[in-house]
Amino acid sequence: MIRLQKDTAKDLIGLHGWMGVALGLLLYVVILTGTLAVFEQELATWANPLPEPVPTAFPKGIGPVLNDIYQRNDPAYGDEVFVFPAADGRLRALFHTHIESDEGHGVEKGVLALIDPTTLTVVDEREGEVEALFHESSSTVLTDFLVDLHVRLLLPGQWGLLLTGILGFAMLAAAVTGFVIHRHLFKDMFTLRKRGDSVLTARDAHVVAGTWNLPFAFMLAFTGAFFSFGGAIGLPAIAYVAFGGDVDTVTEEVLTPPIPTDESPAPLYDLEAIFDDARQRTGLELTGLQILHWGRADASVQMSMQTAEGKLLPDHLLYQGATGEFLGVKPSLGQEPSLGGDLAGLMSPLHFGNFAGLLSKIVWFAFGFASAYVTLSGLRLWTARRRDAPGWAWLEKLTGWVGYGLPAGLALTAAIFLTAGTELSLVFFAAAGLLALPAFWLESDRYSSLNRYLLAVLLLLLPLVRWLSGGPLGWSTLPGVLAVDLVFLLAGCGCLLSIRRKPVTPETLRLAESV
Amino acid sequence: MVFANWRWPRIFLVGPLVFLSTFLTVCGASVYLPAGPARIDNVAIPLVLFPAIWALLFFYSYLDSRLIRAYTVVLLVLGANLALVLLHISGGSQ
Repeated sequence: MIRLQKDTAKDLIGLHGWMGVALGLLLYVVILTGTLAVFEQELATWANPLPEPVPTAFPKGIGPVLNDIYQRNDPAYGDEVFVFPAADGRLRALFHTHIESDEGHGVEKGVLALIDPTTLTVVDEREGEVEALFHESSSTVLTDFLVDLHVRLLLPGQWGLLLTGILGFAMLAAAVTGFVIHRHLFKDMFTLRKRGDSVLTARDAHVVAGTWNLPFAFMLAFTGAFFSFGGAIGLPAIAYVAFGGDVDTVTEEVLTPPIPTDESPAPLYDLEAIFDDARQRTGLELTGLQILHWGRADASVQMSMQTAEGKLLPDHLLYQGATGEFLGVKPSLGQEPSLGGDLAGLMSPLHFGNFAGLLSKIVWFAFGFASAYVTLSGLRLWTARRRDAPGWAWLEKLTGWVGYGLPAGLALTAAIFLTAGTELSLVFFAAAGLLALPAFWLESDRYSSLNRYLLAVLLLLLPLVRWLSGGPLGWSTLPGVLAVDLVFLLAGCGCLLSIRRKPVTPETLRLAESV
Repeated sequence: MVFANWRWPRIFLVGPLVFLSTFLTVCGASVYLPAGPARIDNVAIPLVLFPAIWALLFFYSYLDSRLIRAYTVVLLVLGANLALVLLHISGGSQ
């Protein structure tokens, strides 16, 4: 039991509620899209599957394919090479260098190749400015859109990161106040009066989901704020201060492999032999590759390996590029193990929940879904109580629009993308606009129900749309794709069943919020 | 009730002022924290602690019943770190 002075408790309850009302809907968008993005790989594969499952990200024989790309392009692009799997399993290989543009500012220019790892063929190869290349050449358009909505709310540049950073801080404040304002935290965790008064049930469902979810919500908010603010303004500013303004030179010194500069030409050692050595040393498969100064005597080859059993962070193996000599194991950040590197490295698995395969993803999805439910049910409780007060009715409809219209809009966007492959932002905004129209003539409860019906129907239709648009059907070839189909069908049925249950009336919600 | 009086000064304090103060605190921390063996501790640790420092200053400035005292504390944190950062940058650029 947490004892607070009466005034302090009242202030914190007020802060919890107003924080939710002011930023709750945007927070809900970020939480729901983030929850779906936990299964980014599965969704990307579902939307655009390879002919057969990919056993490893870097299959044997990938070395010569990379060598061919290097040989047929400008050798300057060998300056920095990054190879990494896209969410759908295809490999992306970026060969690039830093040049000065005609306007006098630095830009990255190079070649981006998309490789089918099952056939070891280059399916797409484009040359140009790196930023544009990633927009033009993507096999994961649907999940890229979902992640962009989660990370930047589709806003341009750093503005989206700043906004989601603010939302992260709001969620942090809501989680802390949520913890402190419970006078009987442990009792609240187990109080769900299902057979009792429906008024109490509505409130209990919000409280139970909220209390169980508090540590997770705190962790997600903390790591989310770290990623958004860290990426947008934190890292550049701190690095500027820490290194006295000379960020570029020191960043290079700290992050690039410690190999003395030698610009004399030298061919790269057999990549396949280096990969095999890395596999043999660790007993693990590669997940990423970085080659610096390809074609020079000071070339380096650095590989990210799978995370070993019982560890949270992966190791990185470093080789001398020209000789193939093994130089050692590097941590994720920096040249040597350090507290700062470990702390920063931990943020990633804690936020994405990808450290223990499908199991941790399911747990992260469940808690993320609970966070979205708590945000939405909190808003419904708050607005239902005040629906008769002037100015609040619009927020109740807005909650119905975003709460159920957002997933319905996402499902509609996915369906249109599968059939027509059009620009996703336009489709999404058109779908959102279309779903908003009934709000002008339907009263709020009927409007929410309509959106829920639409969501259920769209979820049930998605597998059919995927199949009709030419997707695979056989379970034996791509079980992952059909498993996602099954999840959509179950979610659609669940949605229909939840609508058929006795609805929670506005009067119920009003009374529940006031309990 | 902390919002009963002086609502807008309180909102200004817990909103922009606390954020600016947090931002300068993590920048300041990168000056006095040791860089460590990998030379990244003074950057990575303040960055990771950014949300925690914000939460600390936010709840303090929201819950302190004496607004003047809350302003004094937050402005002291802000001023001290700003001075540290400016001294470091001007020293480093010479």
